Amino acid sequence: MLAGQLMDLRSMLHTQGIIFAYSGYVTEPVLSGVGEALKQKLTIDDADTKTLRSVFAIFVEQMQNIIRYSAEKAHQPMPPPTSDAGALKEIRYGILTIGREGDDYVVCAGNLVRQADVERLRERLSRIKNMSKEELKALYKEQLRADPEQGSKGAGLGFMEIARRATRPIDFDFADIDGEYSFFALKATI
Amino acid sequence: MRDKLDIEATSRTPAVVFDFPNNHLKIAGESYPEDVTEFYRPVFDALDGYLGRLGEGNCRFDFELIYLNSSSAKAVMMLMDKLEDAAKKGAAVEVYWFYDKEDDTMQELGEEFGEDLETAEFHLEKMPG
Repeated sequence: MLAGQLMDLRSMLHTQGIIFAYSGYVTEPVLSGVGEALKQKLTIDDADTKTLRSVFAIFVEQMQNIIRYSAEKAHQPMPPPTSDAGALKEIRYGILTIGREGDDYVVCAGNLVRQADVERLRERLSRIKNMSKEELKALYKEQLRADPEQGSKGAGLGFMEIARRATRPIDFDFADIDGEYSFFALKATI
Repeated sequence: MRDKLDIEATSRTPAVVFDFPNNHLKIAGESYPEDVTEFYRPVFDALDGYLGRLGEGNCRFDFELIYLNSSSAKAVMMLMDKLEDAAKKGAAVEVYWFYDKEDDTMQELGEEFGEDLETAEFHLEKMPG
């Protein structure tokens, strides 16, 4: 029963070509650890340097998107003592998979987003998805010089970095959960 | 006055070696820190202090980065801006961007940073080996 259930889950992932799957709360040390294993696997696969760096770069941006922006989060109920202020950290939930489709590598990430953010995200991603590499390069440079938009915790360059490193157009989708939340999925192929 | 900034590389942060007496500054390795602001703050501070007293002297800055995430790209741009400012104020600044010949993304990124340097002298070169 127990082995059967877990094996079913593993088979389901395997059927989809998935080599790595993480579903849960993501922290920076999780990124470090999974990232190291990913590098090792790509080295064992004898992936060329460009592919290895691109898969890894996209993995980092996808993981950091979950860590910074997932709308599903848990945090300590009580404020910590002031001496330990750094310990008050939210942890955010997401799912990330890395797998193969034919000769390609595929990195997918999903997390909850607020309904209020869906249109803005959809607009931004549609724009990036349809851009040529030259247009992406120009927008990247422009964004690098710009002030990050409100609510951004990074440089606002993550999606563009993913699109530039991907060898095919990025794919994304939203699934309604309820009036407040939607599930956001982003796929990059290398 | 500090004459050296020496930060050892970790798996997620680059080595930073600022040898001020010899006017040779270098950043090398991978950059995807947990907290970009925290990592780069002392680097910016040390560079600001050095460039502030460089005047019309000369300096060389080597970027030997294997990989940087998008938030680090912003930090690198700020380093470049500081170097360009010093050059505009009369310093002779040479910026070298070394890239792994197997990874043209890092070559392109170097080209993009180089486009914004008008007074500082920019060199784009393959990493040896």
